[in-house]
Amino acid sequence: MTEINLSWPKNYNEVPKEAFVRKDIYAEEVKRIFHGTEWHPVAHESELPNPGDFKTFRLAGVPLLIGRDVEGVVRVFYNACSHRGNQLETAIMGNKTEFECPYHRWLFDSKGDLVGCPNPREFLPGFNKADYPLAQPRFDIYFGLIFVTLSAETEPLLEYLGDSQNCLRELLAGDGRLKLLGYQKVRYDTNWKSYTDNDGYHAPLLHQAFKMLNWQGGKGRQYTATHRGHICFESALSVATGPSVLKDKSLIEFKGQDPAVGSRIVSLFPTFVSTKHLDVINLRFATPIDAETVEVHYAYFAHQDDDEDMVRHRLRQSSNLLGPCGLISMEDASVFHRIHIGNHTPGSAIFQKGVHDPLKLESEFLQNDESGNLPRWEYYRSVMGFERATV
Amino acid sequence: MMQTDTSLEAALNALLLADAHALDSKDMPGWLGNYADEEAAAYYCRSAENSEHGLALGFMYDDCRARLEDRVTFVNDIWAGTFQDYRTRHFVQLTSFNRVDATTLEMRSNFSVFMTPKDSGITQVLAAGQYLDTVRQDKNGELKLLSRRAELDTSVLPRYLVYPI
Repeated sequence: MTEINLSWPKNYNEVPKEAFVRKDIYAEEVKRIFHGTEWHPVAHESELPNPGDFKTFRLAGVPLLIGRDVEGVVRVFYNACSHRGNQLETAIMGNKTEFECPYHRWLFDSKGDLVGCPNPREFLPGFNKADYPLAQPRFDIYFGLIFVTLSAETEPLLEYLGDSQNCLRELLAGDGRLKLLGYQKVRYDTNWKSYTDNDGYHAPLLHQAFKMLNWQGGKGRQYTATHRGHICFESALSVATGPSVLKDKSLIEFKGQDPAVGSRIVSLFPTFVSTKHLDVINLRFATPIDAETVEVHYAYFAHQDDDEDMVRHRLRQSSNLLGPCGLISMEDASVFHRIHIGNHTPGSAIFQKGVHDPLKLESEFLQNDESGNLPRWEYYRSVMGFERATV
Repeated sequence: MMQTDTSLEAALNALLLADAHALDSKDMPGWLGNYADEEAAAYYCRSAENSEHGLALGFMYDDCRARLEDRVTFVNDIWAGTFQDYRTRHFVQLTSFNRVDATTLEMRSNFSVFMTPKDSGITQVLAAGQYLDTVRQDKNGELKLLSRRAELDTSVLPRYLVYPI
């Protein structure tokens, strides 16, 4: 770890804008956070429904190969040959029972074992294939959601999730038995913290479309679930009645089985945001590319028990409601960019809505409060070793 | 080209250019006007990556006339004033077409779209891919899009999308 100096304000509701733009801070974040003691969701099992299915993903630059072996067991490997480290699989997704590195033709099975390598007699004396499986990061699974941590010190996953477990499980349809509908992938020109600061959180006045969803009253519940500041939102959601500007109202139709809580959001430190709005189940796998760029893979799901009509409804709703072109979210995407530009100015970003006392952290908030992000900022500050001013 | 009907080819090219012109002019009613006035008129925008893996989800999924009309409302009314605007330039090239029946044709074309955000002024590629179109020909010979699938080679967009591709 490297000591980085950043003067952090006394008030909990102030975040120095330098934290979003300094490259030395970003380099330290990669070490302390992305390679540190955090769990990172990287896939859902339903993206790999069949034996041999795999997906690749880069977590803050680290290449991962997430696969289901021939016996149906999900495994996570580093996507690099155990010989010279060549990137093993180049496809973003697919189905293979063996992975061959083209560099020296080392061949691995779906369990990661090295099963073939030409001319081993020319290798080091005593060379044994059994000593060269694909390396694996620690991983664990919660209702199908696959988490990776790059540190041996991270606490067990359930402890990490803490009180976010229930909301996350319900968001994953209660049983995690999902069916992949597809992806929307995008890069935003913003620091990863600006993305997470503004993705789960909803600025109601930004969104004309919220009027249609009765989302401007802020009646839902928002709470932080652990000292890391994971945030859960649970909100009733009723589609506004009366004349609609939409000619096809199916976009905001709610057919689901969870009407009391039509909207759930679980936002886990550092970058994961997951949402269930109306009948859209959306997991956002996000990773920083550099200090000024974040890449987000919006993955959308149906439930395995859905009939054909429900799958079609979810497909039609998912494609047009959320994501980088969604009716109720396109403006968020623009705000990510504009906040990042604005963060190149002196001073602090100041949170107002829902803040009762700038010298205290709370854990219960209203749906549209900005203050729900503050426990996460306090955790971030402590992980990064920034001293809070006393005056 | 399967067809040697040069006037038909010219008419298809005119339809492609009319759509590019409407989009680059941010003329959403004009964009809508390039589609057939039928309930089944549709526009989809999705990554080739999704299509190749049998995943139907798109960036935009306007599978009926009502949704096309709503797309105009999104851009012109609901989102107005909330985003950093950008210019686009669509470059389109017809690659094949064939007649399905007396009133229906299919055509494919390649596209590339440049974007220039108004604030940065830096031009970059927004997306490249191909249009897979079904075209309706009315009694007067006029051509309209019955359905268009903009299939993007660009699986990771460099920016959010306001306008259809």
